[in-house]
Amino acid sequence: MLEWLDDFVVRSILAGLMMVAVAAPMGCLMVWQRLAFLSDTLGHAAVLGVALGLVLRIEPIAGVLAIVVLIVFSLQRVTSLNNALSETTLAIISHTGLAGGIILLGLFPSPAISLEAILFGDLLATGKADLLRLLVAAVVLLTLLLMHWRAFVAVSVSREIAQAEGIPVQRTQFLMFLMIALLIAVMMQVMGVLLIAAMLVIPTSCARLFSAGPEQMVGLSLFYGLAALGGGLGASFRFDWQTGPAIVVSATALLLLSLAVKRALDGRKV
Amino acid sequence: MEAEPLLRAIDVGYRVGERLILERVSFELRRAQITTIIGPNGAGKSTLTSIVNGLIRKHDGVIERAPGLRIGYLPQRVYVNTLMPLTVARLMQLTRRTSVDEARAALARTDVEALYDRQVRSLSEGELKRVLLARTTLGQPDLLVLDEPTSGVDITGEARMYELIGELRDELDCAVLLVSHDLHLVMSRTDQVLCLNRHLCCSGLPESVSRHPEYLALFGRQAADAIAIYAHEHDHVHDVAGHSEEHSHA
Repeated sequence: MLEWLDDFVVRSILAGLMMVAVAAPMGCLMVWQRLAFLSDTLGHAAVLGVALGLVLRIEPIAGVLAIVVLIVFSLQRVTSLNNALSETTLAIISHTGLAGGIILLGLFPSPAISLEAILFGDLLATGKADLLRLLVAAVVLLTLLLMHWRAFVAVSVSREIAQAEGIPVQRTQFLMFLMIALLIAVMMQVMGVLLIAAMLVIPTSCARLFSAGPEQMVGLSLFYGLAALGGGLGASFRFDWQTGPAIVVSATALLLLSLAVKRALDGRKV
Repeated sequence: MEAEPLLRAIDVGYRVGERLILERVSFELRRAQITTIIGPNGAGKSTLTSIVNGLIRKHDGVIERAPGLRIGYLPQRVYVNTLMPLTVARLMQLTRRTSVDEARAALARTDVEALYDRQVRSLSEGELKRVLLARTTLGQPDLLVLDEPTSGVDITGEARMYELIGELRDELDCAVLLVSHDLHLVMSRTDQVLCLNRHLCCSGLPESVSRHPEYLALFGRQAADAIAIYAHEHDHVHDVAGHSEEHSHA
């Protein structure tokens, strides 16, 4: 059964597709709420999670999820989660997590885990178990997004209006933070901790250029994410580039192209 | 007077820890009446509106609402995200599904139907305020709670805003609870004034409030004179209705 999954090419493409499907809506929400830097922080700190997973002999992804949720919870306590996520706090968490993780990985080397794969991802090495994890996470995230989409958008547009009209703002925001934690934990496998934020930010930046509304921006982000994935995988197979970085570079190429197109269109209108 | 009030506040109080924000405030809101809350900064005006519309539930005293009372609420400070693409049309749909006709009708009420397809980030402050005011009329509210609806609007825009609020009251036949600093502009259109300074200093018709010693202590003689001018206009309306004897003291 499912012999077609034996092909690593099929597995990588599927993993990439699932990542893009969740990265588009999540990325939009995070960009709207100025949380891109938070995703970077959680990504870096996730290295510590992987290392702890190794030391404690539990699944690395469980370690990551634990550490990321822990950070989200403590941020929730320290700040009120809204506008007070200072760059300084995030930078300290980010780099302490990264440093601590690298030290632990050095002390407890494991043949199963390479630092390079953690940092930059290894899409082509996606196994069946990884794929299953991604699938579960994607289904959970997309279901929650569909159920709470109106609330998520309302809170992004205006906390004051959302609150005035009966949307539980704090709860909605906290749910979103937990979802970001889950997203980071599973995207890490594909993109590597250093490149997750790129996949959340670059396709959405392309989409923003041509969108009139939030839902349209999600749709276009999906399109750009797929195009970047296609370009990255293509370059990876053909030129033997590392997959994660190849996806990021092709996303940026698309952004430059889109900026040029946008400029030409606007110029013509005037 | 008419039948049951839409909302009755009885001895409403509120404290944060030891700090007393509101103490024993009582008033009634009736359909087709505009009630204005005035008072200095920190008087508890916004707290009172939050209690009225149910955002603050843990307070002393009682708020009796007419069964099925629908409230449209415009908070004092509304920050609207300019990072995201958003049309006025989508803004009208923000927290609940609304038909295109209903959304357009609401915008027409505040003279901004033409902005329907515009990006929210391209609106001027005054345009945005009117769009937000239009939003509060979605879903046929019985009561509009407007917390300083004119902050950030220029002086001519301000006068027009109050005119619009009066028109909304007539069109929707709803009660309006208004928080305002602009004594001059507000008074001419107000049926009831609540002068608040943690407790209710005085309340009633604009002209009677303006003579109350506590009001004079808070706002001074000049403000009282400003109201007296409008009270005159007010008399005129009441003359037509045949209640001029109410104002024999003026």
